Amino acid sequence: MEPKIETGWCQGCGNFAIRDVLEKVLRELPVPRNKIVFTSGIGQAAKMPQYLDVNHFNGLHGRSLPPAVGIKLARPDLTVIAYSGDGCMYGEGGNHFIQTLRRRLDITILVSENQVYGLTKGQSSPTTGLAVKNDLSPGGNPNLSLNPLALAITMGAPFVARGFAGDKEHLKGLILEAILFKGTAIVDILQPCVSFNKVNTYAWYRERVFKLENPLTDRYEAIRMADLWGEKIPIGVIYRNDEAPCREIKEIFQVPLTKADVASRLNMRCVMMR
Amino acid sequence: MEFNVLIGGEGGQGAFSVELELTEILTKLNYHFFATKHYMSRIRGGHNFHMLRIADHPVHALRGGKWEMVAALDDETEALHKPDLREGGIFLSRAMTKEVGEESKKLFGEIRSANTVMVGIVLAVIGVTPERMAEATEPGKVEYLKKGSDFAVQWGIAGAFPVSRAAACLVKFDGNQALAFGALLGSCRFMAGYPMTPGTSILHYFSDAAQDLPVHFEQAEDEISAINMALGASYAGLRSMVATSGGGFALMQEGVSLSGITETPIVVAVAQRPGPATGLPTRTEQGDLNFLLYAGHGEFPRVLFAPGSIVETIELARKAFDLADRYQIPVFLLTDQYFADSVQVTEEEEIPLEVISREYPLFDATYKRYRLTEDGISPLTFPGLSDALVRLDSDEHDEEGKITEDPDMRKRMMDKRLKKMGLLEQEAVLPTFYGAGDAAAVVLCWGSNRLIVKEAAERLNADGLSVCVLHFGQVYPLTPAMITPYHLEAKKRICVENNATGQFAGLLKRELGMAVDQSVLKYDGDCFTVEELCRTLKGLLT
Repeated sequence: MEPKIETGWCQGCGNFAIRDVLEKVLRELPVPRNKIVFTSGIGQAAKMPQYLDVNHFNGLHGRSLPPAVGIKLARPDLTVIAYSGDGCMYGEGGNHFIQTLRRRLDITILVSENQVYGLTKGQSSPTTGLAVKNDLSPGGNPNLSLNPLALAITMGAPFVARGFAGDKEHLKGLILEAILFKGTAIVDILQPCVSFNKVNTYAWYRERVFKLENPLTDRYEAIRMADLWGEKIPIGVIYRNDEAPCREIKEIFQVPLTKADVASRLNMRCVMMR
Repeated sequence: MEFNVLIGGEGGQGAFSVELELTEILTKLNYHFFATKHYMSRIRGGHNFHMLRIADHPVHALRGGKWEMVAALDDETEALHKPDLREGGIFLSRAMTKEVGEESKKLFGEIRSANTVMVGIVLAVIGVTPERMAEATEPGKVEYLKKGSDFAVQWGIAGAFPVSRAAACLVKFDGNQALAFGALLGSCRFMAGYPMTPGTSILHYFSDAAQDLPVHFEQAEDEISAINMALGASYAGLRSMVATSGGGFALMQEGVSLSGITETPIVVAVAQRPGPATGLPTRTEQGDLNFLLYAGHGEFPRVLFAPGSIVETIELARKAFDLADRYQIPVFLLTDQYFADSVQVTEEEEIPLEVISREYPLFDATYKRYRLTEDGISPLTFPGLSDALVRLDSDEHDEEGKITEDPDMRKRMMDKRLKKMGLLEQEAVLPTFYGAGDAAAVVLCWGSNRLIVKEAAERLNADGLSVCVLHFGQVYPLTPAMITPYHLEAKKRICVENNATGQFAGLLKRELGMAVDQSVLKYDGDCFTVEELCRTLKGLLT
């Protein structure tokens, strides 16, 4: 067990297990601690970097990814990890999730997936199942649930995985692999919410999860696998594409901008806006 | 001597290209000129017109009144603008410009050559010889310009309005280029943006610069992302900015507030256009002053610059990055479509070229990002440079960046951030004063109206009126030191603004307790012209 620090989480929350795993990951990663930056949004999961000994940019709700993009483009020497919950990452930040995958950057996206809004006390999230009832949807959630893994594969993400907070050793391996993967890697982590999700409990998951031995390399087969939910739920690396080219970033940090550089931008042709 | 020409046509007919080429060549030939445009929010069709004022002295505004020449590429130009042709002025009718098009196509095999031929006609009218034209263009276009000169000779208009060249060496900027150039001098290294007229060409300037210079441009999926990317880059150690217009800025507000609480430096350029909502996408207004003053929830320090000349824009853009960095705050650069889109020349020796360099202080593991200090400014460093961890949070936080709800810490952090406002007031940029200190009336203005008002006041003084001008390049914070030297209380005070409600006059009243006697407001989407402003001011002063 990690030393106790005060958190904003409920007793038994899946996030504790994930934090233990992340502490181990930070120790085992072949990267100096000061070169690692966590970004996050808002929500219970987004508080994660607060409870780790690491650089962090804990920004706004839904916006864990744009700062991660800005940091990586500015400083390709840094290891950038965006962390948030399903509501922040797929709801408020849904478009950023889609568009960030298109940018082909070497960043890692970790999501505490509990199918519910925790901090605001139990409303539907984008991954809440159809017809699930809660205080804000007393008649049942009218919306289909979003499948983040299938979406990520469709958008061209080269590394797509699912972890389970109830299996820390397996999760640690996944997160390490995701961070070391060169390219955008996403790990959606099944994280039981003990306060507001009475369906998707540890016991419920334990009956259903099974480990994939090897990642799929065919996108369409991977989408089929990502679509599997209910009686059987796959965990592990669902899709991995080592051939996908990662975007090259020009190193500009601390490279001087000279008077001659700027003078070369005089008398530029005007751009006619219309 | 000066020559004012209007070239009008449908979108896609080439008037844009004529302005583009003409301003390039006039700069190479070292002419003083001012060019601006009135265009519609569509790619083809409609009615656009381009206005150029070419003179033997510096010009930085539209003169207004009658044109020396009107060139009609469409029928609407004749209907709308021919009545404004001065006596003895040149009118190129639709039939004549058609002939130019047909001849050009026949001679040179492509219709686009007609744009350059039109440029040749205008140049011939102000007395540029074909040889001179040839010196100022690329080899492939020499024949086109020569053909233009031939047309002018054939129509008897060559040399009709001769203008002599400037003595000093001139450089050309449009307002957005000046702003982006100043940003480079401020060592801005990162820009993220989503295109929105009239801010878009700032993005173009940066993406082009990023091809060769150590700067980065990223096209974001929306303005929310743009400002959050820029804040990420700023946190990581690059001076960063975003550029947009009012509607895009509406989406960026949460990022401004984030900059406020996390004390992350950012420069935000907003080129205003008339709202509300989509408003008039390609026209001008100064309607977003109040919006920027209060943008972002919560209370935090900020600075707003609204430059009114090319040199002032470059200098204030550069300064914006320095202030944002030293005080760890958002700094705004407020312009408008009129200024963004107007092309003008400035003497090369007036253009600053010194790039501000920044420091990267190192700390040890005891570093606290939000250390409480006497002046409210905590030492700033960046991740990965030393053992210092840089921990930032949008929640209220303690000195280490840890979330806190402790009332005492909350108050101390608020006080720390707001303390910077006092320091910012001490280094406020003073306004620019034109005219005599004992003038009976003062015209107050801000932003892009600076040089229109200046020229109007010069004319009024020449006509025997007694008026001076005070232009504010910094519109927030306003400080008593900005006005006390001028004894404005003894003068009649008139405020000129491109908006409907007199936002700056209201700000002067609120911040400095100074009421204006009258406001001159324009909010039809167009800029003021010198002549129009003279007429209005004369009515108020006599």
